[in-house]
Amino acid sequence: MANDPIQFTLNGKSVTLQTDPARLLLWVLRTDLELTGTKYGCGMGECGACTVLVDGQATRSCLTDLAAVRGKRVTTIEGLAEDGRPHPLQEAFDEHGGYQCGYCTSGMIMNAAGLLHAHPHPSRREIVEGMEGNLCRCGAHQRIVAAIESAATGTGRQP
Amino acid sequence: MFDRLRAFHRPATVAAALRLATAERRAGGRGAFVAGGTDLVVQGDGSLRWVVDLSLLPLRYVRRRGAGGGWTIGSTTTMADLERSAALRRFADGVLCDAAATAGSPQIRNRGTIGGNLANASPACDLAPPLLALDASAVIAGGAAGARKAAGGRRTVALERFFRGPGRPALNGGLLVEIVIPAPPVPRGGRAAWAFQKLGRLQSDIAVVNAAAGVIVGSDCRCRWARIAIGAAGPTPLRARRAEALLVGRPFDRDAAQAAAARAAGETRPVSDVRATADYRREMSRVLVGRALDECLERMGRDPWASW
Ligand SMILES: Cc1cc2nc3c(=O)[nH]c(=O)nc-3n(C[C@H](O)[C@H](O)[C@H](O)COP(=O)(O)OP(=O)(O)OC[C@H]3O[C@@H](n4cnc5c(N)ncnc54)[C@H](O)[C@@H]3O)c2cc1C
Ligand code: FES
Ligand code: FES
Repeated sequence: MANDPIQFTLNGKSVTLQTDPARLLLWVLRTDLELTGTKYGCGMGECGACTVLVDGQATRSCLTDLAAVRGKRVTTIEGLAEDGRPHPLQEAFDEHGGYQCGYCTSGMIMNAAGLLHAHPHPSRREIVEGMEGNLCRCGAHQRIVAAIESAATGTGRQP
Repeated sequence: MFDRLRAFHRPATVAAALRLATAERRAGGRGAFVAGGTDLVVQGDGSLRWVVDLSLLPLRYVRRRGAGGGWTIGSTTTMADLERSAALRRFADGVLCDAAATAGSPQIRNRGTIGGNLANASPACDLAPPLLALDASAVIAGGAAGARKAAGGRRTVALERFFRGPGRPALNGGLLVEIVIPAPPVPRGGRAAWAFQKLGRLQSDIAVVNAAAGVIVGSDCRCRWARIAIGAAGPTPLRARRAEALLVGRPFDRDAAQAAAARAAGETRPVSDVRATADYRREMSRVLVGRALDECLERMGRDPWASW
């Protein structure tokens, strides 16, 4: 099948790929672009480990075909820091120990970034509801919610 | 995932999408439309030979329908769009926003569309009960049935007839263009209310049972119009017509609501599966319809008879 080049903005830089547009964004990120911070958990949209931002909206890269991000802004965990300074969410997860093994962490942080993008000052309840689709099998949920709460009330630097 | 895919199209118009699908079907091999992909990718049908992606079509809108009230919603409007629509929030007690807000997690709602939700024709889809309780219809372009009519003709199918069975929408290969919601027939001096209820392990889970109710009462507090729709309690989302009939013409109060809920449960045809047994689903249909009707009563300003 003939493939037109697909251009999009990845972590602030333009990338153009010549590959099958039906491939899933998760595997293009991890394999072609070697950005392995985005994790494969279930591949079925259930766990949230693969979450990235597409035009600021939290999106499951395991269900998103590459064609769907043509011309859009994709942000992965690797692109969240600014000028070498970690994002407030990254700092808060570190401070609060919002992880154990860390497998779910990039998805958690990216979904939280999408949440704070939409609601800069969420209540605890809004955080819990907004994070409902991200699973942590180590069970760090309490500390994850605490980290997001503290990032939301902190400096308020937006993704 | 789509290992045998031969072609992936991204047309910009409905006409082009239909043309591409027709050409691919003639060339042979199975294929599909894809919108958000949150059902299609998970189903992972490796036999698909072609896909027509709908995300560039200009169908992402929520519009008022003329001056008479009512709405049209483009099929690629996402669940997140519906959840956040300020205009729909003010319509029919925001029943559609409430239902959209429970469908999956935020990441799923950012991608999943109203068209995909309905075209997937899962008996548990969360948008069906509120749309059935609003007398919505589906506008379909092309497909086998449409082709018989004028080229490019569109047909309108009442949502109740759109669901033919699990995974069997009445599309015949056509493209779901938009959903039409008529203005509810609220008489002068009358009141109307809608409510959505869903039972799942978490709010974002696929429903064990979901239900929506809509009630219109006249100035005499008698019920003029009632809609009760239940999902995941039969092969398709269904209307509980005998329960609706029980309400119409009578004073709308708590007793009437409970009697209608019990009758509605009797109209379900649930199955047992990993999520719940048939008996539990039937019983929960009664509970959820009861809650939805109670919520309608409350929204109308408590018991309409309270002022007597
Ligand atoms: C983790 C997870 C949780 C979920 N939770 C819920 C839930 O709580 N409630 C719920 O209701 N659903 C849920 N879903 C299911 C799904 O997200 C929704 O049904 C969604 O609305 C599907 O829309 P889509 O655009 O992603 O559909 P797609 O996957 O793109 O398409 C679904 C089907 O519809 C067809 N199709 C799509 N658009 C059209 C069109 N315009 N015309 C003709 N055919 C079309 C496709 O060919 C395909 O067969 C969940 C899914 C996942 C993965
Ligand atoms: S890997 Fe995408 S949701 Fe689990
Ligand atoms: S920290 Fe291990 S899965 Fe969340």
